[in-house]
This record gives sequence, C-alpha cells and structure tokens, in this order.
Amino acid sequence: MVSRSEVLSLCRAMLRAGRQYPHYNLREYTKRRTLDGFRMNKNLTDQSKVNEAYAEAKAQFVVLERSVKFHSLYPPKTKNIMEVKLQ
Amino acid sequence: MASLSTTSLSFKAPSTRISQVLRKGSSFQSVTFGRFTSSTSKSLRLQISCAAKAETVQKVSDIVKEQLALTADTPLTAESKFTALGADSLDTVEIVMALEEKFNISVEESDAQNITTIQEAADLIEDLVQKKPAA
Repeated sequence: MVSRSEVLSLCRAMLRAGRQYPHYNLREYTKRRTLDGFRMNKNLTDQSKVNEAYAEAKAQFVVLERSVKFHSLYPPKTKNIMEVKLQ
Repeated sequence: MASLSTTSLSFKAPSTRISQVLRKGSSFQSVTFGRFTSSTSKSLRLQISCAAKAETVQKVSDIVKEQLALTADTPLTAESKFTALGADSLDTVEIVMALEEKFNISVEESDAQNITTIQEAADLIEDLVQKKPAA
C-alpha cells in the first residue's frame, strides 16, 4: 500500500537526483519528465494501479541514479548556451 | 529598519522551541514586512522574534507566482496558503525545489512536508541560510 507521502518523497528524490547531471539538457528533461509523469497519474483511485505506477517510478529512479553517476564521468566541455546569462 | 534587524539577530540564541513559538505568534502581528515601518516600542518587541525578512518573502512570492502561473494582480500575502492559490501537492514539491535552487539551500524531507504558506517557506529559508556556513 503506497501512501501519498511516499509518492511525494519519491518525486522529490527523483527531482533532486536529476539536478546532479552536469548536462543542461538532461537536467531539464528529468525535471520535466518526472513532473509530467507524476501529474499524469495523480488522479488514480484504484490502489493496485497506484502501486503499479509507484513501482514503475521506483524502477526509473534506480536507472536515473545510475545514469547520473555515469554521465558525471563525462561532463560537457563547454557551457551550454541556455545556461549563459543574457547580457 | 537596520537597527531592528540587528536586535533580532541577537535574540536567536534562546532555545529553538521558544523562538519558534514566538516566531509563529509574531508572524500574525508584524504587519507587512518593511512597507509599514512601525516604530512603536510595542511592535519593536514583537519584531525581535520575527524571522523572515521582507525581501525573502518577496522572492518566495515571486517564485510561487511563476510556478503557479498566477496573474500579476492576484492578492498574495505572506499568509496565503499554496492550496488556496490552486496548487496541489506536486506543485508544492515543485515550488520547494525551485526555492532550494534559488536560495542554494537543502530542505529536509520532514520540513518540506510541513510547508503550507509563503510565510512558513520564508521562515524556513531564513533559518537554513543562517545555519549554512557563509560561502
């Protein structure tokens, strides 16, 4: 039985993990995708479906953590144009 | 205002529980934050325990407005609850993340779940910014 607070904790954890990418595009994508994913399923009422969605998200979270570690080994050499402040 | 803020810093020493209670009590009485410089001795005593600065509250309000896509003229006070502004719990998570990034702090899980109003967020931010060693 997955509780509301567990779901929110997972969302927070995924957002936090995604912030650690050295790459702008991966950071933005993770933020966008996790919020979209959680929002898509936010109105589920059937508990078994909720559990299913939670398990899926948990699996993705494991992949995300591994991916962050891997991508941190190959940081981009130049700063992304989107990160440069407008002058 | 400068003299008031220095006295407020010296009173952070007492136990956190007491100062939290005082903080909660004064947040209702210390009328908006910097615009009305009330200089009576009565308000001086209350403002000593008031934690959040006006500019912090303003920054928090700006972020909330941006995240929830509110129009510029929606009434936004420090006591506004996020749920009253149309945010659900996921929006609140997003807001807390944005605040973390903006102020360069790290909010604990338990703290994050208890934030419901703008004032609470500002207080928590001030707390964390002070605890953090100066960069």
